Amino acid sequence: MNGPTVSCTKCNSPVPPDFFQRTDLAPCPACEAALQVEVFPALFKPIAVGKFGETILVDGEASCFYHPQKRATIPCAGCGRFLCAVCDVELNNQHLCPACLETGRQKGKLPQLENKRMLFDSAALSLALLPLLMWPLTLMTAPAAIIVAIYSWRKPSSILPRTRIRAYLAILIAALQMAGWGLLFVGVFSNAFEP
Amino acid sequence: MPREPKLYRRLPGRGTSIAHYVRLYQGPDHLLQVSSTGYSELYKRFYFRDIQAITIRKTHWANLWTILFAVLILGFFLVGFDLTGAGRIVLWSIAGFFLACIVLHLGLGPACVCHIRTAVQLERLPTLRRVKAARKAINRIKPFIAEAQGQLSAEELMQRMQPGRASSFERVAPTPVQESTDAPPVIAPDANRPAANA
Repeated sequence: MNGPTVSCTKCNSPVPPDFFQRTDLAPCPACEAALQVEVFPALFKPIAVGKFGETILVDGEASCFYHPQKRATIPCAGCGRFLCAVCDVELNNQHLCPACLETGRQKGKLPQLENKRMLFDSAALSLALLPLLMWPLTLMTAPAAIIVAIYSWRKPSSILPRTRIRAYLAILIAALQMAGWGLLFVGVFSNAFEP
Repeated sequence: MPREPKLYRRLPGRGTSIAHYVRLYQGPDHLLQVSSTGYSELYKRFYFRDIQAITIRKTHWANLWTILFAVLILGFFLVGFDLTGAGRIVLWSIAGFFLACIVLHLGLGPACVCHIRTAVQLERLPTLRRVKAARKAINRIKPFIAEAQGQLSAEELMQRMQPGRASSFERVAPTPVQESTDAPPVIAPDANRPAANA
């Protein structure tokens, strides 16, 4: 049986091992596509064998909360329930049960598992700026921009470093629009009620 | 107030499409691919300990752009040649703009497609579209991968690729899980223990 291989990403044929040490592009023997392959030790590492829970043999042994027939090996760091080897999920040196893992993911308490975030500050800024192209809309969108900016104040923003400048700008621009509308209404009504 | 240390550092290259743009970041123990629409971000993580290989394949789409820019430069230059005054200045300015584009385009170097391979996936990295940027990004993350996985010398690498040694890399089949809890425990054969008849 052959060892681990890396395939050409064009023709899918295995790339010969002498490619792995090259620091320049070389043609694939099968399709002639210019390739450079960087290989790392993980390629040669076998996939770890999955764990399975040990069955309880003696009465009185602590059992898994989810599998009463399996021996408990560790308590969950989140809820303290006893877990067998099957239910124990290790994440950043923490041992969690699947329920705590799911709850943590849903509530955003485990940033390592987050795969999506909304950028409410950008939405607020767009809500403040874009309707200026059709300015009468700002009567409705300016308060909405302020509400979105305030609502998102304590919400987690991007995982990447990001300042609050967009939220500040959204509030400032929307406040100016509302002030403009206020002045307009005051002007219109004061003229309307003048004798 | 002390500034928080930067968790993510941006790697060279960028990928764009109609709906979103993609960036690649180097994290403490993983690569983070961020696809952003401007209002939401999608994250994909590639942990350094899991990366098996990164491939760069040169492509030829950059040549098409070079040809397109050259045709546009030539076209605007020649049409402007027949005109005088403001018309000529406008057309030659447009030709100059495309000249700047072609210079920038050639400066970025040849185009490529970059893939990252782990034990369970082969993912394209849309941000690494130029060979120069791809090599730069790989050189930036290499020390982190080496820290997470260790390093292989050229001899070790060749030795491990030998078909004769292949059996040591064969993936170990998971031991079947016992379905019945009433069945007596089965002692798994220990690979390290010498055989009884040895």
